[in-house]
Amino acid sequence: MKIKVERSGGLAGLPISNEIDGKNLPSELVSTVKNIMGGQKSTSLSMKSTPKGAGDHYIYKISIINGVNRRVIECNQYSIQDDLKSLVKYVEKNSNRTN
Amino acid sequence: MDFKERFDVINREGQFVNRRNQSCFIIPEYMNKNIVEKGTKKQKEHAWKNLILTEQLRGRRLVTGLMSSMFSISNKLERTIFDAENTENLPGTLVRHEGERLKGGKTVSEAYDYSGATYDFYKDIFERNSIDTRGMKLDSTVHYGEDYNNAFWNGTQMVYGDGDGEIFQRFTKSIDVIGHELTHGVTQYEAALEYEGQAGALNESFSDVFGSLVKQYALKQRADKADWLIGAGLFTNKIKGVALRSMKEPGSAYNDPTIGKDPQPGHMKNYVDTTSDNGGVHINSGIPNRAFYLVAIELGRYAWEKAGKIWYIALTERLKERSNFQKAANSTYEVAGTLFGKNSQEQSSVKRAWDQVGIKIKAVK
Repeated sequence: MKIKVERSGGLAGLPISNEIDGKNLPSELVSTVKNIMGGQKSTSLSMKSTPKGAGDHYIYKISIINGVNRRVIECNQYSIQDDLKSLVKYVEKNSNRTN
Repeated sequence: MDFKERFDVINREGQFVNRRNQSCFIIPEYMNKNIVEKGTKKQKEHAWKNLILTEQLRGRRLVTGLMSSMFSISNKLERTIFDAENTENLPGTLVRHEGERLKGGKTVSEAYDYSGATYDFYKDIFERNSIDTRGMKLDSTVHYGEDYNNAFWNGTQMVYGDGDGEIFQRFTKSIDVIGHELTHGVTQYEAALEYEGQAGALNESFSDVFGSLVKQYALKQRADKADWLIGAGLFTNKIKGVALRSMKEPGSAYNDPTIGKDPQPGHMKNYVDTTSDNGGVHINSGIPNRAFYLVAIELGRYAWEKAGKIWYIALTERLKERSNFQKAANSTYEVAGTLFGKNSQEQSSVKRAWDQVGIKIKAVK
């Protein structure tokens, strides 16, 4: 299983892509991934939570690929849920950066 | 209904949360407002912080201008600096407020001084009283997050990271970055350009334009002496790059093995069609950025006098939420004609500039 986090936006507009093999995930993140693959999470977290007038925030695209199954979640720093945020931080910290 | 029936739990901020999971606060808003208006200096500080915090904790249910509309219009600069202490909690701990001298470290001082410089620029040049024209307080949080490589405007305040020390230094280092972030607030209260596609790229461009002019004004630089760089000095010396962006030559600001090459186009033929970055708002802003640079250089003198004035009036009187590059070109052309005369040097310069970036003027008048 591959978990990929692509981040865009921010003041500098630098796109960053990080990827890990999901087989050694900490237990608290395993359930997050299961929820994503099981369809319990919306693939497009509402951007309506973005404050009016906000600028230079981060945008995330989280992809989980398990064989032929693939789930992608899009969100930003205002709409990202705590468990997804933890997953993103873990991937960024433990990844082989792909860009 | 007794107390326990109304309130389920005390959350970690010490607030009572009722059955509908709404946050309730012990000190009501009207009381904090009275204290801000009539309390002692120390009382005002605490009450002001409470008011900001309650806005944040109400799930960012922010009514733009709420804070300033609660009080009478102020004609004075009012700055407040908070320290997030490397957490992502906003606004953080109050560390400096207006009038306090040399309190806090370098980062606090930069946020304080440069937001003041931005206020002064808008007041001196455009007679604009802060972000909302009503003396809105300028709140900044520094030391946000850990190794945080970003700065942003969240609709209410500015937020600055310290950088990771590998790619970026602290984000308060560049005065134009602070001008950039505050200008997102100005845009919010004026054209309210949507943060997506061409409207979003215009939003970004206006922030770069006025961020650069804030720097030029502070340094008293004429257009031909300015560097026209956004975020110069933010990269560490490990990165091959001079700035985040170049308005003079989009695409030339950096070229580095770690972060890649500056992707900004300077002409419509190289417009980047993408879904990332809200449709490339930080990428395609290079096109209107270069248009402004060309006008400023051709008209000469101080760039805020003519080019800046044209762009300011376009932002505050002509553009709307979904305005695109064509609309910006037409509007700046029309404003130049109104200000300086039809077929004036200034209007012709605007036409030439947009033409050079691939946009033909389609003006009504």
